[in-house]
Amino acid sequence: MAAQNKVDNDSDEMPAANAPTDPETEQKERLIAAVKKEVKQLMEEAVTRKFVHEDSGGVTTLCGAVEACLGQGLRRRALGLFKTSSTTALLHKIAKHCPEAALVSARVLAAEGTPATRSASGVERRPSAPRPPLCKRGSGSLLAQSPPQSKYLWIRIALFEKQLAKIIEHLVTNATRYYERDALVADPDYGSILSSLLVGPCALEYSKAKPPVTFWTDPPADELVQRHRMSAGTTTPPSVRRPILNFKRSLNASSDDSSSVNTVTGKGTTSAKDYVESLHQNSTATLLYGKNNVRVQPKDAEEPMAGYLSLHQTAVGLVIKWTPNQLMNGYAESESVDKSLLRCHLVHASACQHTCVLCSTKPCTVYRSRCAGPLCVDCVYWAMSLQVQVWEVVYVHVHRSQGSDALILVGQDGVQRPPIHFPKGGHLLSFLSNLETGLLPHGQLDPPLWSQRGAGKVFGRGKNRRRPMPSLSECGESDEVDQDEAAGDYVFRIVNNAIADREAMRHSLLERAVQSPPRTPRRPLASTSTTSSDSSTMSVDCPPSAGFSGLPPITPAPHQPVEQTASIELVCSTMRRQIISRAFYGWLAYCRHLSTVRTHLSGLVHPNIITKEGADSGLTEEIWRSMTDDSGTVNDKNEVYRLVYYGGVQHDIRKEVWPYLLGYYEFGSTTEQRIEQDASCRRQYETTMSEWLCVEAIVRQKDREATAASIARLSEALGKLPPVESNGDSGEVFEDDCSVISDNPPIVTPEPSDNEQRRPDNKPVLSRAPSVDEIDNIDLDSEEKEKDVKVNGETDTSDTREIDSLKDLDDEDDDVHLKSVVENPDMRRESIAEIKRLAEGIVQKSDGRGLLCSVDSANVNLNGVDQRSSVEENGPSPQQHTSVIVTNPSVDLVPSGSPASGGTTANVSPSRSPLGVVREESQSAGASFDTLEPTSDQRPETRSNCVSPASSNGGVYSNELVESFALNLHRIEKDVQRCDRNYPFFTDENLDKLRNIMCTYVWEHLETGYMQGMCDLAAPLLVMMKEEASAHALFTRLMDRARDNFPSGQAMDAHFADMRSLIQILDCELYELMHAHGDYTHFYFCYRWFLLDFKREMLYQDVFAAWEMIWAARHVASEHMVLFIALALLETYRDVILANTMDFTDIIKFFNEMAERHDASAVLSLARDLVLQVQTLIENK
Amino acid sequence: MSSRKKLLLKVIILGDSGVGKTSLMNQFVNKKFSNQYKATIGADFLTKEVIVDDRIVTMQIWDTAGQERFQSLGVAFYRGADCCVLVFDVTAPNTFKSLESWRDEFLIQASPRDPDNFPFVILGNKVDLDNRAVSVKRGQQWCQSKNDIPYFETSAKEAVNVELAFQTIARNALAQETEAELYNEFPDQIKLNANDNGRNRDGDNCAC
Repeated sequence: MAAQNKVDNDSDEMPAANAPTDPETEQKERLIAAVKKEVKQLMEEAVTRKFVHEDSGGVTTLCGAVEACLGQGLRRRALGLFKTSSTTALLHKIAKHCPEAALVSARVLAAEGTPATRSASGVERRPSAPRPPLCKRGSGSLLAQSPPQSKYLWIRIALFEKQLAKIIEHLVTNATRYYERDALVADPDYGSILSSLLVGPCALEYSKAKPPVTFWTDPPADELVQRHRMSAGTTTPPSVRRPILNFKRSLNASSDDSSSVNTVTGKGTTSAKDYVESLHQNSTATLLYGKNNVRVQPKDAEEPMAGYLSLHQTAVGLVIKWTPNQLMNGYAESESVDKSLLRCHLVHASACQHTCVLCSTKPCTVYRSRCAGPLCVDCVYWAMSLQVQVWEVVYVHVHRSQGSDALILVGQDGVQRPPIHFPKGGHLLSFLSNLETGLLPHGQLDPPLWSQRGAGKVFGRGKNRRRPMPSLSECGESDEVDQDEAAGDYVFRIVNNAIADREAMRHSLLERAVQSPPRTPRRPLASTSTTSSDSSTMSVDCPPSAGFSGLPPITPAPHQPVEQTASIELVCSTMRRQIISRAFYGWLAYCRHLSTVRTHLSGLVHPNIITKEGADSGLTEEIWRSMTDDSGTVNDKNEVYRLVYYGGVQHDIRKEVWPYLLGYYEFGSTTEQRIEQDASCRRQYETTMSEWLCVEAIVRQKDREATAASIARLSEALGKLPPVESNGDSGEVFEDDCSVISDNPPIVTPEPSDNEQRRPDNKPVLSRAPSVDEIDNIDLDSEEKEKDVKVNGETDTSDTREIDSLKDLDDEDDDVHLKSVVENPDMRRESIAEIKRLAEGIVQKSDGRGLLCSVDSANVNLNGVDQRSSVEENGPSPQQHTSVIVTNPSVDLVPSGSPASGGTTANVSPSRSPLGVVREESQSAGASFDTLEPTSDQRPETRSNCVSPASSNGGVYSNELVESFALNLHRIEKDVQRCDRNYPFFTDENLDKLRNIMCTYVWEHLETGYMQGMCDLAAPLLVMMKEEASAHALFTRLMDRARDNFPSGQAMDAHFADMRSLIQILDCELYELMHAHGDYTHFYFCYRWFLLDFKREMLYQDVFAAWEMIWAARHVASEHMVLFIALALLETYRDVILANTMDFTDIIKFFNEMAERHDASAVLSLARDLVLQVQTLIENK
Repeated sequence: MSSRKKLLLKVIILGDSGVGKTSLMNQFVNKKFSNQYKATIGADFLTKEVIVDDRIVTMQIWDTAGQERFQSLGVAFYRGADCCVLVFDVTAPNTFKSLESWRDEFLIQASPRDPDNFPFVILGNKVDLDNRAVSVKRGQQWCQSKNDIPYFETSAKEAVNVELAFQTIARNALAQETEAELYNEFPDQIKLNANDNGRNRDGDNCAC
């Protein structure tokens, strides 16, 4: 936080009243603006949520901003608050006068005293670290995410207690006592602004009720988008929420508040957390060397103490740190001290260390006085710890003795650091070699540790330590200062030619670069400073190569002003070269990138860009008419595609245009040709339908059996015996008429169809008294049958009916139907005879009981003859047409409850076309035929229609076929019923159409079968075409492409892979995020998009537009338009995704909730832009 | 057991298409029933917080596509599941019969640490309908035969037993989770090698 930097600065130059006023006010402005921004964000958060969570990132940043305001211009010295960046002391101070402050002060003390609850949270990870509002769910993440409690603790508590505004008001009114005259708080305007700004946040409810993890996972997609809209409006980018974006921006060395404290200022870090972290390998510093139990004798200690010595490579240079063991692991040892306390201490201590360690080593009095008990000890230890910037050191003295190896660092000012005693065993040597390595390439040890004379090998063992260390006499005479007499003593000078100039440079030129956030080490920028290991630039940087060769370095002491100009020149030339080399590498990277793009993506788009001009309005009716010539021919297909791609189709003519777009109609075909095509298509459709309708009947039959069986079982289980009646009747039935049995199958059919239309009613009936149902149906059937058999004329009548209806449907069809119908009578007789025979056979063979049941129902029919309903007519005809044997057995078995046997019989006996069955289907089918009205009166006709085609298509159905179709049928029905029920178009009638389309398609592609999602694909086509046959035709075309998307095909994986490449190239930032957060670059969350061509993602109108675009794009821009639409969807919400660092589950939830709420036209146009972008990428070689 | 540990329970709902998985999930989470649900494509999930044994637990309930051929996608969604809910339709015997294969498929795809003791819960849904075809006894018997899986008869439409069932689900999932923690302090690391650990559980984990 930049603000805190300022605080430090202020405290350093305390009596800065004479500073120019302009920057002062500017600074105040900035401070106030920061508070404003945070308040605004917090209030927004409060609006979208019912309450604000205490650990919310917004709270922390607000507290930080307030702290910065309060710290500015504070009369620290007068108040005894030396050298502290915290205002906590101020609070305690004013507690005497301000009751609110007293309350908060008490709480703060209590909070600091209470252990446990805040344990993990004592230290903030990094002050500037953005806290992603959406926490990861990984189990380990809680600790890492846990909020910084002790940071701004008192402000936090004051805020939660709703006292903050009052306290600040108190401060403002009594500003003269605590603040400099020009301080922000003392300012008449800013002071009151500050306190009034905080009134709002103080009125909010803060809660800890929910753990942060769950709290942040909750926000619905809406809210996320909403929040994003609000935050997008603010002038300052909400850096806190956009971690990854920051990454990019930081390259531009933005000076926004994310540039942080711990860009090392050369004096050590200001926060304890940083210090702790800095001891380990981390992103800001590379740990070059670490050794524990290295002893150091601090100034005011009596004897050397053990501690941890480490050597770090940071952005500004090498740093040697030594931390007493008491600090490193003392916490663990002292059992009584709680961790949270210790963390607090760290904060204090770091402040101590900041002032003490490097400069005067005197323990900080402030914290001593504040800390009670063990704290003081800690502070003392902190005072003892060492932190040395290597570039401040000129000489390294090594004293080797029996007991240990001591190393003394001598600074530029000649001051000696406390000696560092290494344990025996080569540690000193390895430290030195690491130091030397760390100094490279800009500096080196002089004389070099590694002698040029092949001593390296020996050296590596660490046993013979003298060899590598060249005798001092060789090169030491030039400027050695003090030198110990002992033979085991060596002095190394740290030579660093560029350091001085670099320092100058850093402050002038590179300041900005250094200030940018530390968590992303940026090699290229940092390379100008001494430390970077970027070899490409380094070689350029190191003119004093003489130093490497072991010659006495010519370089003067770094602080000599004479060398200044020369080294500035050096730096300039270095920079020049760096710039050139960076440009080169940039170009190289671009070329490589492009070749990747070309190889991976060229297949995704068409190479030639077709322009948009004039295509904005799309394909309007006017244009369409003008393109159509007299014979109804449309020839200019490219223009059509282009118009559709860029502007869609006017809704009124979609019905005409879609068949072209899907390739059903040929461009250049005449009206007559198309009519012809339609007709034959419909014919074929009906034929196919009649085929599967037959099978459906069998399926229905089986279903009934199964249901009956299970019901029987169920009722048996319940101790009831429902089939009693039927048993009684069965005997009679059996005797009565065998043919009756054959009637059964048709009987079955009516029911299922009923089921479809009024399931709720029917089902219960079925389950309770199936026999009754059957009876009715059978009655009718049997009667009719008899009629048919006896009187041919009757059949004729039914035929004529058929013809009538057929006329409506299709003139050409009539002949076919007629023929078949005419043939029927003969066939019927034969078949009936056959049926009788078979039935008898079956009866004999099969278990009597089952038969009895069925028979008995038939019997009932005969007895109670109802001729009124035309439905029965249907029954007889089917049976007659074909040997319905197949159906018979099953029927027989139904009641017996052994479906398996039924199945086998079905297998054996070839039923050419169980026509009776067909009827029922045809009824529903007929309803869906456009020409036929689905009124109840016409039903019979419809049925009879079906009969004839069925007879003509008689076939043998294997058991497998029946079973597989049954499976598909059930699935289709389940899904059809659920398809877009909320959409008014899908009435029962239209759902039937949809079902027929599905069944027909599946019948034609039984090997793949029905797959969930097909319904969704067919629905918009049906909505548009209204008519079954043509919708089916279009659906078939659509599926030609879409089939591969289903699990049986490979396209989906290809889509995912393409998405991966595309997003990597077009938005690597987003890709990085996806990769980093649970790696969902498998893109499974796009599954539904691709499977259904975004049908579920958009509303119908938009789906139409999207689909047209996809179809047209094949010919205009890309065969994989879906990819680009998907990409456009992602890009539309990329900022939301990034801001909330969504992981796989988040993104699934987000897009599922956003379904049908996208701004489709924007998405589609973005998709076109993306295509163009890729096209341009590929074109510009 | 530290109370700070995340308590997110991932629950997967499986079963044939149309048995009411989406409805059950929505009934439990949103307390409402709609007959407008479409066939689920891909996967969706809802979260809900419940209190189990005085602990606040977030249940992340995943609703999947019912058609078995979409199971190849399952790996991505099943991973890390804490409990699996198998649903069938009491009016459709076939959906009951396929429970077995759903269970097996899940164990293969999710490959949990300890397949034998992985918590399943069976829900017989749609008990509000009259045309019931799978008896309570049959359901219970099957569940007993499978290591005493808890069995509930539910109605998503009328909210029968839904709350109770999901409470049990949460509790069993939590028990599973707890057990896992007892064996290992770093469950996440272990998950990477879920297979190995499942096999050598006794040998390996004690060492930790």
